Amino acid sequence: MFQHHVRPMRRGRSAATALLTCALVLTGCKSAVDESGSGSSGPVRGGTLSIVQSADIAPATFLSQNNPNFAMIRTVFNTLTAYDHDTLKPQPELATGWDVSEDGTSITLRLREGVRFHNGRDFTADDVLFTIRAMQREDVATQLKHVALAIDDMSAVDDHTVRLHLSHPVSNLFDMFEMMPIVDKDTFGDLLAGKKFIGTGPFKVVRYTPGSGVKLVRNDDYWVKNRPYLDGIDISVQSQSQSMLSSLKSGESQLALDMAPLDAVSVRDDPRYNVIESDANDSVYYVGSNVAIPPLDKPGVRRGVAWAIDRGRILNQTLGGIGQTSSLPWSTSSPAYGKDQAATYRHDLDKAKALIGQAGATGARLKIAYNAGFATNQAIAEIVQFNLKQAGLRVTLVPLQAPDFFSKLTGGGLPGLFVNVHGFNQLSPATEVKGAFPFNADKNASGFDSDRYRALAKSVWEVPAGQDTDYGPLNTFLLDQQFVSDLVVSSHTYTTSSKLHKVGYNMFDYLDLDDAYLSR
Amino acid sequence: MLRYAARRVPSAVVVLLVASVIVFIVPRLAEGDAADVLAGPDASDATRDAVRADLGLTRNPVVQYLIWLRGLFTGDLGTSYIRKQPAGEAIGAALGQTVTLTLAALLIALVLGGLAGIVMGTGRSPVLTRAVNSLVSLAFAVPPYVSGVLLVLLFAVSIRLLPASGYQAVYDDPVIALQYLVMPAVCLGLPTAAVIARFLAASVRQVQDEEFVRTGLAKGLSRRRLVRAHIVPNALPPVLTVLGIQVGQLLGGAIVVEAIFGWHGIGDLLVNSVLSRDYVLVQDLLLFTVAVFVVVQVLTDLAHASIDPRVRLEVR
Repeated sequence: MFQHHVRPMRRGRSAATALLTCALVLTGCKSAVDESGSGSSGPVRGGTLSIVQSADIAPATFLSQNNPNFAMIRTVFNTLTAYDHDTLKPQPELATGWDVSEDGTSITLRLREGVRFHNGRDFTADDVLFTIRAMQREDVATQLKHVALAIDDMSAVDDHTVRLHLSHPVSNLFDMFEMMPIVDKDTFGDLLAGKKFIGTGPFKVVRYTPGSGVKLVRNDDYWVKNRPYLDGIDISVQSQSQSMLSSLKSGESQLALDMAPLDAVSVRDDPRYNVIESDANDSVYYVGSNVAIPPLDKPGVRRGVAWAIDRGRILNQTLGGIGQTSSLPWSTSSPAYGKDQAATYRHDLDKAKALIGQAGATGARLKIAYNAGFATNQAIAEIVQFNLKQAGLRVTLVPLQAPDFFSKLTGGGLPGLFVNVHGFNQLSPATEVKGAFPFNADKNASGFDSDRYRALAKSVWEVPAGQDTDYGPLNTFLLDQQFVSDLVVSSHTYTTSSKLHKVGYNMFDYLDLDDAYLSR
Repeated sequence: MLRYAARRVPSAVVVLLVASVIVFIVPRLAEGDAADVLAGPDASDATRDAVRADLGLTRNPVVQYLIWLRGLFTGDLGTSYIRKQPAGEAIGAALGQTVTLTLAALLIALVLGGLAGIVMGTGRSPVLTRAVNSLVSLAFAVPPYVSGVLLVLLFAVSIRLLPASGYQAVYDDPVIALQYLVMPAVCLGLPTAAVIARFLAASVRQVQDEEFVRTGLAKGLSRRRLVRAHIVPNALPPVLTVLGIQVGQLLGGAIVVEAIFGWHGIGDLLVNSVLSRDYVLVQDLLLFTVAVFVVVQVLTDLAHASIDPRVRLEVR
């Protein structure tokens, strides 16, 4: 890869020798640039995949969906099932089969035999029970705790059969099976503390350096025969998106996780790179309203806000066209998605002004809070500010640091409107209205408290897994109340070198690198 | 002298104690805490409360302060809330990166700045002097966040000679470590090299007018020997004074360069600790910074007192 052109020098021979020595030392022996990458065309074994991501992994949230863990969950661990991306039917992983009772309150899972954890211990039914009990613990963070808590009885029929009983039918049971990595019951405490990472997945953790990255090596005892192809994976933290892009362009890394959308788009047309937009489409940008702050206590004003915002501009200018504008939270894969309803609100300042005027809120002062650690949110907040000024409101921006923002998001202290991003829109709608904080019917970021909403959420949750129901009333209610105004349904992205092939992911965006390989 | 030291040291201890109170209180004034970060954005209040209790954040703040202070006196800097690793370990690893980068940049600054300063100061070749002068002006004017990006585009993206970002410890693999080090060190060292070059050039010009230089010339010393053995050594003292100030600036500048090249030094650690409300690390890092300044100040005062008896007498 390196070419050295050392010209003969008549004078300053010693200087030339010194320079040459330096060049040889620096580049001649071996290189930090091309350490990874091997193989010929077609699936080949070997090579170390280098991944860059913007934040350090967060072991304390391994049972949650949390973006910094996307490269770890399905590479080090396995889940019970994985949805087929086209049909959304669960497919076997560590569970090879299952029987759901007709009333949806009981399920028997048959588990894969011959699976071993990285410490050599056999995977059994006890590990599944332990993981579900961990999700039920109050001190363990997970968005699907409501599902785990709906399991009122569980038992191991034998070493490889688990029976779960639910207090009521749960439509998003398989969402939990897909999101929940099965952990080793003997080392779970060390996992939360980032000390030990024992899973059943295709790669084993060799070293975790907090703040810097993780080194993984191939699990030769992996239960999928002849997989993985890669010898190892290096995950490193690059806090700047531009640095991630440079790392990819220099060949030092082959996969950048969730670069800033505009950086990802900058290489979309370059044949040396691939920008994979997750078909889960679970990165939804929205404007929320704290309904306790006047004039946002009036639904008419919230609808006026929804009409005022130029979603197309946000999609193109801040997200580089990744995604689609929508008034609903759902991904197109969601059973609740409706094309017509998704197009309800568009940029119409006349309607916005009329609604705001009817509510007597013209000229009212509003604040828009956002997480300042995320540049895309700031850009969106600025567009929203501009649009709302056009609609006759006086708006100021309030940038907040992440802990402050999230503290206020959950504590109800946001000063008016807020710009943020949510997920959980791609699978069962119950996961959104029971698990994602902006929409949680029991307690949400907007302080929106409604018996009608709770009843609607219950109606889509207490349905046997796999059965459909009518989501029209829920959509109509969400569109009417607008305590959350969805703007753009976008995607997490995996920007890869064209040398990297067969990058997979599940519907929670956990990287699946069983079949991934590096070509020369 | 001992009496002077006995008077000076207790006041330093008081400063450190007051600083420890301030660095304990200030991070807690910001909204949100480590439990908000650890529990994740969708966590329930109950989960946050459980995490908060587990971290010990629900204890009386005075108790938290005393536990931390007791740890400091026994050599235990505490455990990071977010990283779950001993704070001393985290700070040591980050400090290693920052010090490596700063020393490498200093070396580059000394070599490049020294050579350029001599060329500019002696001014024997007008063409070479003008060329070096222009390069020095450029190095002086271009900040590290610009030169860093340009270096990455040129040497990592265009010709793929060096890695764009990352770090490897010297003891792991010196060759690879050197490759990771070159661009950040050059980027950080260039402005300092320019400063050294200018000061050295001015100092060399001044020394060249000294009588002993003319004497040397009259005695028939070669120009090269005169510069090497007499002019440069006599021109160095003012440059060394400037160098002392520049080392502090290099440490500060390292924070920006670390961000560009994906290094995880002290700056990166402090910023991330503040943003994640990792109080233990923030307190330790801030107090460490204060302690460095206090110790340096005390040592300077003691040195001053040992040289100048009037200082010691003032204390009496």
